[in-house]
Amino acid sequence: MLELRPILSALWRHKVSALLIALQLGLTLAIVSNALVVISERTERISRPTGVAENEIVTFNFMAIPKDYDMYDAFRQDLDMIRALPGVASATISNHVPLSGSGSASGFYTEPNKETGAMGSNYYTVDEHFVDALGMKLIAGRGFYPEEIMQIDPSSNDRPKVSVVTQKFADDLFPESDGNVLGKSFFLGGDDHPIEIVGIVERNLGPWPNSSIAGRGAFYPAITDRWFYYIVRAEPGQRDEVLKLVEEKLAERDGNRVINANTMEEEKAQYFAGDNTMIKVLSGVIVLLTFIVALGIVGLTVFWITQRQKQIGVRRALGATRTAISRYFLLENLMIAATGIALGTAAAQIFNGFLVREFDQPALPVSVTVFCALGLLAVSLAAALVPALRAANISPAMATRSV
Amino acid sequence: MLKMQNIRKSYRSDTIETHALRDFSLEVKEGEFVSVTGPSGSGKTTFLNIAGLLETPTGGQYLLDGQEVGGLSDRDRSHLRNEKIGFIFQGFNLIPDLNLFDNIDVPLRYRGFNAKERRRRIEKSLEQVGLAARAKHLPAQLSGGQQQRVAIARALAGEPRFLLADEPTGNLDSLMARQVMELLEFVNEWGTTIIMVTHDPDLARRAHRNIQIVDGQVSDLRQVAQHKQSAIA
Amino acid sequence: MFGYYVSLALRSLRRTPVLSALMVAAIAVGVGAAMTTLTLNYMMSRNALAEKDSVLYAVQLDGWDPHEAADNPSEMPWQLTYQDSVNLLRSDIPSKQVAMHRWGGPISLENSDVRPFNADSRVTSRDFFALFDVPFLFGGTWSEEADQSPIHQLVLTSETNDKLFGGENSVGRTVNFNGVPFTVVGVTEHWQPSPKVHDLNNGHFNKSAEVFLPFGLHRAFEIYPWGNTNGWKSEEITSYEDRLNSDMVWLQYWVQLDSPKQVEAYRDFLTGYIREQKEQGRFPRPLKIGLSKPSEWLLLNEVVDGDDRMLNWLSLAFLLVCLVNAVALLLAKFLRKAPEAGVRRALGASRNAVFSQHLVESACVGLLGGLAGILLTLAGLSLIRQLQMGYMDRVASMDWTMMLAAIGLAVLSSLLAGFYPAWRISRTNPSIYLKTQ
Ligand SMILES: Nc1ncnc2c1ncn2[C@@H]1O[C@H](COP(=O)(O)OP(=O)(O)OP(=O)(O)O)[C@@H](O)[C@H]1O
Ligand SMILES: [Mg+2]
Repeated sequence: MLELRPILSALWRHKVSALLIALQLGLTLAIVSNALVVISERTERISRPTGVAENEIVTFNFMAIPKDYDMYDAFRQDLDMIRALPGVASATISNHVPLSGSGSASGFYTEPNKETGAMGSNYYTVDEHFVDALGMKLIAGRGFYPEEIMQIDPSSNDRPKVSVVTQKFADDLFPESDGNVLGKSFFLGGDDHPIEIVGIVERNLGPWPNSSIAGRGAFYPAITDRWFYYIVRAEPGQRDEVLKLVEEKLAERDGNRVINANTMEEEKAQYFAGDNTMIKVLSGVIVLLTFIVALGIVGLTVFWITQRQKQIGVRRALGATRTAISRYFLLENLMIAATGIALGTAAAQIFNGFLVREFDQPALPVSVTVFCALGLLAVSLAAALVPALRAANISPAMATRSV
Repeated sequence: MLKMQNIRKSYRSDTIETHALRDFSLEVKEGEFVSVTGPSGSGKTTFLNIAGLLETPTGGQYLLDGQEVGGLSDRDRSHLRNEKIGFIFQGFNLIPDLNLFDNIDVPLRYRGFNAKERRRRIEKSLEQVGLAARAKHLPAQLSGGQQQRVAIARALAGEPRFLLADEPTGNLDSLMARQVMELLEFVNEWGTTIIMVTHDPDLARRAHRNIQIVDGQVSDLRQVAQHKQSAIA
Repeated sequence: MFGYYVSLALRSLRRTPVLSALMVAAIAVGVGAAMTTLTLNYMMSRNALAEKDSVLYAVQLDGWDPHEAADNPSEMPWQLTYQDSVNLLRSDIPSKQVAMHRWGGPISLENSDVRPFNADSRVTSRDFFALFDVPFLFGGTWSEEADQSPIHQLVLTSETNDKLFGGENSVGRTVNFNGVPFTVVGVTEHWQPSPKVHDLNNGHFNKSAEVFLPFGLHRAFEIYPWGNTNGWKSEEITSYEDRLNSDMVWLQYWVQLDSPKQVEAYRDFLTGYIREQKEQGRFPRPLKIGLSKPSEWLLLNEVVDGDDRMLNWLSLAFLLVCLVNAVALLLAKFLRKAPEAGVRRALGASRNAVFSQHLVESACVGLLGGLAGILLTLAGLSLIRQLQMGYMDRVASMDWTMMLAAIGLAVLSSLLAGFYPAWRISRTNPSIYLKTQ
């Protein structure tokens, strides 16, 4: 490490430039490491298991043109027809579609006639095919019997007698029961009508996966004509054909209505568009920023080397080897980068504190900072490598040439 | 024309203080051609820099054309430099990115002449140094002697009253050196005052007057005599 | 002199094309990133009702759960109940007022090739157009009676009118809405505020209604709104009438109050109204009302959300890195030219002249960076539009103000970046560069 002292004194002469590069690296470290935690949190959100066969499901909804249209009759006929179509694995009717950003939620109690202390949860009204049609996994109890399905007018006060709930709903409402909730009943607010849990499905994130009640869900054996969607699960790989076919057949069976069709994948993408934008934008930020910093380092190293061309020539003439010259510039770069990273580690924590406080973002673990720091160090050295190798090629004859 | 009295200049670095000029006094008259000689490191360049308003002395008094320049602002000094003083350096110091025309254009721009006047002067001064045909060439395309002639043309374009040359022939062979010297003498005949630093005793002798700087002080005999006198008095 | 500096700057930039390109790229990327998010935020926080900002008010009444406040920054429900809306509509204090909500249904024409389609619609009292300054192309709003009883009149937007009638004056013609014939009484001009300040419930930047329907239709059609319906208590609801008389909130309410006196009077009226209702056992919470101007309403509803603001900060930090980069590169570039600056000083350039010359060079870099930055911003915005899947189409676009702002930002940043290097080079002692080397 004979060389450290001359490097330091040369750096001191370029202290402003060196500091600017260090500053850049530091700021970049602060931004990149924070961007990375946000990205990983959002990615986790999006890739969480949803509990439903999101890639195989298509949904349909229609509006009747005549005013006095027999909706329930249409439901029966449509669903019978859809279930008989080739490529259709199963179909149900539901008041809302999971992952769609539109749904119903209510407060639930373990005791009758309560007004406060409710547990919020999503709820669905579905027919007996729902477990299969949504591609969920029934882990205890049973689904619904056809004769249990009621018709509910939204203006009526009809209550179902039974319900299938998600595991999370069961765990959160009955924390003491260790998942043993079959046969237990729950209540709606200010009501003494017990609803018995007859089955448990493994998971269903619900219509709003980013909300605090995501994952809690209760399914009622009921159909309503105010809000309804046909949820159709296609055989694997046949979703798009099924979408077209069902849409066509619905219009064919009764042309007196306007039909909307959607894939669940599309609805999910819509719901997560904001998070997805964030991921893409932040990834872009990371790439661009690293690129810019690398360019800056290349630019400055090249400049320093040009400036010291003659000096390098003299050194070579006096016996310095090529490796010694390259090593000189790499060491110089390493020292700048180390300063920058020291600054950046502190800045990253400060920046993260701000993001946690103001924007409720996840905290920055040390491991991420270290990971980013090493990455930046590598980028910095790589950026300095090309000019440093070029410097080694400067001929000793440079010493005698005037500039 | 130029009058320096008890000029001092010292450079401070971390470890030592160098006295480049000490108690330096000198008077140069209008139209004179003065050569300056002295050992290396004696303060010749420092003297020229101060005379040319590139550096400010640490102490003492400097009158240029009877005007005390000590308290002037950078703007006024730049103005004076631009109007009254021309520089010629040993290293030529042409701007490598600019062709000859644009190089000579530089001081004229700062003077604020209009385009027509600038063109007239540039062409005239290139003519004077015999390089009119090369106006569009870059400095790198010329020989050392030609470059120095361009530098002289650039110094003359503003028609300064006062030409400062720091070893103008230092980088040239003797033939080229003689050509440059003849050019300077020609300019001097037309009334421009010249101070020229040189290591070449032959060239130094061709000037009207030679002063020698030793150790930051003028050591020409007359001055030494005066010094003694004042000591006696 | 300025022209001379510009020509010197361009010459200098051409001399070192790689370094110059790096600097322009650094500024462009920084400006592009900053302008993309700034444009989004600027477009998002635009107030379509700015011209009437001093006289319009969104009305809120706190009739929520006695045990906990409504879960939003205003701590009051955003919307009103049907019964309160109807009661407030009886007041004659406001110059104009509307109660309204989103709805929709299939729309079709008898004997026409136009395919039936689902039309997003707005059920509203008749002052809507006057209150929000929605201009009419043909006809006007419906009769006063239509706000009380089911009269089948409607107003089309010009876009819907184009679809259905090819843009002709359709006043007096009949369209079927929800299977029932309606008479067209008016056609509005294009009106598409974004953000949708008048109803921020279902997506701040979604499209506005395609059809407007009178407020007197609720019972006849048993209208269930398409927007949000929120409730806090369990109510015995066995009929549509029960629903209308329930404490569920689903209507937006706006008033126009032209003078401070009127505002005062209306406040008193609302306070009195809540007192009166409290006697009947409603409004269990401490008395609280909200009157928010459109600009306040946008802020309260957090139209520019946390992610957007975070991106804003991030892009500014990004710009800062790009600036530091530009400073470093400019410094390198200028210092390389230090001998030239020394010669210029010797030839009579003052420090200020050298400083200005280099600052002009920085500004040229900034100008080029700004122009490239606009292109990057446009690319960034189109990327956002794509990622947001149509949700932000109207927001993620650049207007002239923002383009000028982009150039301004670029030039300002590069002047800022060039300041230190230019200062530094103008201060260096020329004599050391003139020595023989
Ligand atoms: N910028 C500076 N900082 C410190 N010391 C300086 C500086 N410039 C000149 N000196 C010192 O001042 C003294 C006079 O220098 P100057 O350049 O005037 O000598 P010179 O007579 O021109 O020599 P030469 O004939 O070799 O050119 C020298 O000792 C030199 O080391
Ligand atoms: Mg010298």
